[in-house]
Amino acid sequence: MRNSLKIYKPFTLTGIQEFMIYKANFLFFIGGEILFCFITFFVWKAVFNSSSSDSFMGFTMTNMVVYLFMTYLSSILTSSDAAYAIGEEIVSGSIAMRLIKPVNYDVSFLFQEIGNKIIITSIMLIPVIFGIEVYKFIVSGEIQFQWIHFLTYFLSIMLGYIISFYFNICFGFLAFYLKNLWGANMLKESIIRFLSGAIIPIAFLPQTMGNILNLMPFASLTYTPVMIYMGTYNISETIFFLGLQVFWIIVFFGLSKLIWSAAIKKLCVQGG
Amino acid sequence: MIHVENLKKDFKKTLKDPGLKGSLTSLIKPKHEIITAVDDISFTVEEGEIMGFIGPNGAGKSTVMKMLTGILTPTSGTCLINGKNPQEDRKKYVKEIGVVFGQRTQLWWDLPLTETYTVLKEIYQVPDKQFKKRMDFLNEVLELQSFITSPVRTLSLGQRMRADIAASMLHSPKVLFLDEPTIGLDVVVKDNIRKAITKINQEEQTTVILTTHDLSDIEELCSRIVMIDKGKNVFDGDLKKLKVDFGQSRKLDFEFDLREIESVTKYCETMKEKYNELSYKIQNNKVGIQFNSDEVTVKEMIQTTLSNVNIRDMVMKDSDIEEIIRRIYGKEVSLNEE
Repeated sequence: MRNSLKIYKPFTLTGIQEFMIYKANFLFFIGGEILFCFITFFVWKAVFNSSSSDSFMGFTMTNMVVYLFMTYLSSILTSSDAAYAIGEEIVSGSIAMRLIKPVNYDVSFLFQEIGNKIIITSIMLIPVIFGIEVYKFIVSGEIQFQWIHFLTYFLSIMLGYIISFYFNICFGFLAFYLKNLWGANMLKESIIRFLSGAIIPIAFLPQTMGNILNLMPFASLTYTPVMIYMGTYNISETIFFLGLQVFWIIVFFGLSKLIWSAAIKKLCVQGG
Repeated sequence: MIHVENLKKDFKKTLKDPGLKGSLTSLIKPKHEIITAVDDISFTVEEGEIMGFIGPNGAGKSTVMKMLTGILTPTSGTCLINGKNPQEDRKKYVKEIGVVFGQRTQLWWDLPLTETYTVLKEIYQVPDKQFKKRMDFLNEVLELQSFITSPVRTLSLGQRMRADIAASMLHSPKVLFLDEPTIGLDVVVKDNIRKAITKINQEEQTTVILTTHDLSDIEELCSRIVMIDKGKNVFDGDLKKLKVDFGQSRKLDFEFDLREIESVTKYCETMKEKYNELSYKIQNNKVGIQFNSDEVTVKEMIQTTLSNVNIRDMVMKDSDIEEIIRRIYGKEVSLNEE
């Protein structure tokens, strides 16, 4: 185990270095996301203003703000580029260069992206959480931050990321059949945004639908960690949803291995 | 060391009729065709041998290389390298081999070159001391020093190729697979690369398989040639055998007095009409006649020329490998091997 960590560590280090090279890219991305976040904020503000009561579907405006910004943070932390990256390697045939190295295909990707995530987390996590807590303090007049929620949130975010990674690996394998993933990727992103509660909180949806979505893997990406942070779940619910996250990791991990072993036999490397 | 037996690879290809209509039909009801890229190829390579793997474009060389390196799975047949099946335990197998695909790179595109070597050192678990020694050696033969701290994307093709070859040799592999390692390079860089390959081969008994379209690579490096065409084995043996088997082509060069150009041209024309496989070229006062020694013997050729033309100087040349290969690719030679 320690040995294999040693093998994959350089992938993480190079992931960090690569990230540094494309700083501007990242800044634009964050800028776009912040813009999107504020637009959603104003939309919900209008909804709350037009409502006669203080709360809407059990959410106060404060809750809504926390929800929006936490979802924004979480979806960045759990997002994975694996589908795109794998698709690209399959389509261009450079997957061959990864296959001639004595490393696991998926694990080398994972550790490379973790390098990315380490930087993003260290840049974003503290400021956003801090901002949200300051906002809550101003509105309520008391400090509501709870370590236990924060730490469980962090654990849940990491699990969410691994689900996202293996889901994306599976999705990326579609490139074996589609040969170009750009369109499919756009579709996937929109569907995930909706199903993971990033656009409308799952709690706002009709109950049966909400229940189903809650059990689906997409809720595990961002909705579960955010709910944990907001303290919506009691202990047994928290344990259940963390367990569900682990369950989805196992499912997608297994599925990716299955697809891989089937696809590798049919692999044809494109372009020379 | 390397045993390849009855290797075969089929690809499924989707057929599309031309035009928009064709695109739509193939979207709804795709038609497939099976293409055999590699058809029943067998050969063995001994330890420490440098084997040149040649054939025209699209002959299936790269496909064979990809099967040997464990990237592709053969449709049927087996390959055993160092007693291992590349498809069975890929991770363990690739530890013992080094691979260069000339058209791709295994270097980290955005990072300084040294970073790639550091990553490779960890991946292959090369001990510090050995790594240093190895880097010194590679630096020396491939002259990496001047660009080792530059990001890979800023390297020229020649630099990148040298860097790629160094990367494939870093872990002292037992077998080296080089797919067109000299593609697009200038003479000096080619020379460096050849030297590095020879040195590695001599010092460490590394077995090398290389594909190339540059026949001087073959002449300088390879003790052994396997030639394939349309996925089939066409020739297997050393350079000498190739020349003996297919080398009936000879060339007679002579100089003459420019005043006699008319009679020389006339003589060449009559010879050309007489023999099917004879061709000639006149340049100033020099003539080159290419002929097949099965059709007209060397002795006969010299005698008739001497008695017909007043020549100043003459040279009889052995067929060079390029000529032979041109003829084989062009299907002028009957492939009596089969």
